Amino acid sequence: MSEAAETARGAGRGVGIFAIACVCGVASGMFGIGGGVILVPLLGLLFAFSQHRAQGTSLIALIPPTGILALMAYSKEGFVSWKTGLLLIPGVFLGGIAGGKIAKWIQPRLMRQVFAGILFTLGAWQALSAWRH
Amino acid sequence: MTIIILLLGLGVGVLVGLLGIGGGVVLVPALVYFLRMDQHLAQGTSLFILLPPIGLGALREYWKQGQVDLNAGILCAAGMLFGAYAGSFIALPLSSRHLQGAFGCFLMLSAFLLWRKARHDSNAAHSNQEKASV
Repeated sequence: MSEAAETARGAGRGVGIFAIACVCGVASGMFGIGGGVILVPLLGLLFAFSQHRAQGTSLIALIPPTGILALMAYSKEGFVSWKTGLLLIPGVFLGGIAGGKIAKWIQPRLMRQVFAGILFTLGAWQALSAWRH
Repeated sequence: MTIIILLLGLGVGVLVGLLGIGGGVVLVPALVYFLRMDQHLAQGTSLFILLPPIGLGALREYWKQGQVDLNAGILCAAGMLFGAYAGSFIALPLSSRHLQGAFGCFLMLSAFLLWRKARHDSNAAHSNQEKASV
């Protein structure tokens, strides 16, 4: 493949990744989450990232304060519990290191299937408890 | 109460490192059910804990193994910065009840995507190589 075509393909891939990240961002702001939960599978399914690589790359997107604009919008409406948040941060940080080490040893496919099952149950529960009455 | 919150953070953190996710997706329901928070408050608090680089420790572990695509990661960060801002404008006017329902549907969609990815992997031949090299 010529160098120009290679560059064009690389740029197209970049635009695609940016577009997908924007979609994940909307989910992030709408639901107050990191967005990694859909970014990781989408990087794998659409851009052929290996699972470990998709996870590592997703963590990059979580380093800079990506949610800051959304957070400001929530805090203006008084929807932030600062004290609870501060208490959660150290645990999440330390747990993250432990999880990163464990990920090396675990068969990722099984782990993901179990997690998918938990998520689905949680989601169904949330939707039901919101709309049942 | 403080102990519960600290332990909750630790549990969520393990998932962050294990799955390369932000953790909010489990944190939000946990805040709603264990701490009886309102859906909007849980989401705002979750965005707050995502502000500092909580995933940095986990990232270091992946980086050491060369499992990080820096360019793609930066593009994702930029896209998510603006996307998240847009998303907050959709969420804030919604009632907590509908927001919670929408969150539930989103979780089911995420579960579906994760499940598909897992099956996709099992069909790919290189997953065996990966296993062998670990």
